[in-house]
Amino acid sequence: MNRKLVNIVLIVLAVAIVIVIGKDFIGKKAGKNIENPFEYNMDEFRKVDSTQILYAETFHFPLKIHDWAGITVSDSMIIVASANHLLKFDYSGKQIFGKQLIDTATCITIDENRQIWIGMSHYVVMYDINGTLVKRWNSFGDRALFTSLAVSGENVFVADAGNRIVYHCNTNGQIIRRIGEKNEQKEIPGFIIPSPYFDVAIDDGGFLWAANTGRHTFENYNADGSLRTSWGVTSFKIEGFSGCCNPAHIAILDDNSFITSEKGMPRIKIYDQHGQFIGIVAPPAAFEGSLAPDITVDKQHRVIALDFERQQIRIFERKKE
Amino acid sequence: MSDKKEPKSIERRRFIRGGMQMALAVSLGGVAGFSLLKSTSKELVWQLDPFKCVQCGRCATECVMTPSAVKCVHAYDLCGYCDLCGGYLKPDSNARSTAAENQLCPTAAIKRKYIEEPYFEYVIEENLCIGCAKCVAGCTSFGNGSLHLQVRHDRCENCNDCAIARVCPADAFQRVPVDNPYLIKGGFTKGGTSKDQLKKG
Ligand code: SF4
Ligand code: SF4
Ligand code: SF4
Repeated sequence: MNRKLVNIVLIVLAVAIVIVIGKDFIGKKAGKNIENPFEYNMDEFRKVDSTQILYAETFHFPLKIHDWAGITVSDSMIIVASANHLLKFDYSGKQIFGKQLIDTATCITIDENRQIWIGMSHYVVMYDINGTLVKRWNSFGDRALFTSLAVSGENVFVADAGNRIVYHCNTNGQIIRRIGEKNEQKEIPGFIIPSPYFDVAIDDGGFLWAANTGRHTFENYNADGSLRTSWGVTSFKIEGFSGCCNPAHIAILDDNSFITSEKGMPRIKIYDQHGQFIGIVAPPAAFEGSLAPDITVDKQHRVIALDFERQQIRIFERKKE
Repeated sequence: MSDKKEPKSIERRRFIRGGMQMALAVSLGGVAGFSLLKSTSKELVWQLDPFKCVQCGRCATECVMTPSAVKCVHAYDLCGYCDLCGGYLKPDSNARSTAAENQLCPTAAIKRKYIEEPYFEYVIEENLCIGCAKCVAGCTSFGNGSLHLQVRHDRCENCNDCAIARVCPADAFQRVPVDNPYLIKGGFTKGGTSKDQLKKG
């Protein structure tokens, strides 16, 4: 009898607990689905005119390791640096090479002699195409944070977001010139780099371009470090750049048109050599999250994106007219 | 008396019944003990993990306090001091103008101070902040993520069952030790929100 009573009490209590927990769970679930009256809504800006989309994604493949640093391309070979590895893929996504790096990579590029240059936050290394370490520069100090490299002949340009400067170096890492230091007499506004997004690229004429991301401008420098020209548009509209640190990544095609990749509301666009908006490579709808994909371009004018959110390499090709 | 063994089925029934009783007693004891621990645990306070927060707006609407005990705080050492602050300006604003209609904060709780061309410092006026996380969303998307939310312990009632924690879609709320009550992203050094002052709260 006693045992029966204990059982009944226990069961009643158990049912009560289940009801309380269930109610709490349902309440929470319902609560989790209510609308946000303070939503930061960018839906309007995500919409684009589909006739402006000039490229289509033709292929993508997944990356199995994380902490990617950057992407570059050569001879139909896609080369990516993760924090600790250097990997090569063919365009079908097959990994054809992999090697552990000596340190944590932050950026990568390849030169015309197929030498791979990697920024290691505060110093630079160079590997040959087979992954043999050939050069290791001295450190540029604790404040340095290398975010981009561009190589033209014997000239290596290093974007340092930490010191907000571009170093023009020889291939051994000796500084030839500091580019972009604020100088009112020479009308150089100085780089405004609020966060570590600071890309450089070389155009067909061998001239340096740097993305002054805090000002939404592209700046073009002469060999002597003087400002040659610049362009940029601050706007949330598709033609412009907005928010802090855009365009986060840049690449230049061999016809000197610019490819840009933005953070916040990721999108990839194309501009002509004078900075005139031409169209969209990949609209905001093609991306999740807010990280800007790193980008590179090949001789066939394909745009290859390293999508940090999806952990994919994505290949975009110009649509046929 | 017989020492004859009971049939296996009865043995099993008794075993199951005994096991059920034990399991129920243990689980009830556990639930009661947990509730007791939760309700009497004075050394723990509620805090939200800013890295989990998805800026859903519920910190503004669900807190038992009006305005919410959750406030925006600023990690100055992470901030880019941008002229084009994504947490301060509406996405479609004319970035060069900081007129009220261009400000993202619904209560104008973020004050902007000129430092030098083109840098600005952003300070939160806590009395105006309702913890809506709109600026956090803007800063996370377009900035460095230096603006983030925290339960301010000079305002929080430390409810047994935090009304926000119940509905937080990111499960960002947790109990933290009272002597280390903030889960901050970076340092607070400006505008009266130093880490020490936060602790005192
Ligand atoms: S309820 Fe959770 S997700 Fe929503 S704003 Fe508060 S902490 Fe962030
Ligand atoms: S936008 Fe919301 S969370 Fe940010 S300061 Fe204003 S009221 Fe506070
Ligand atoms: S514990 Fe209470 S007062 Fe504190 S944040 Fe939660 S609901 Fe608000």
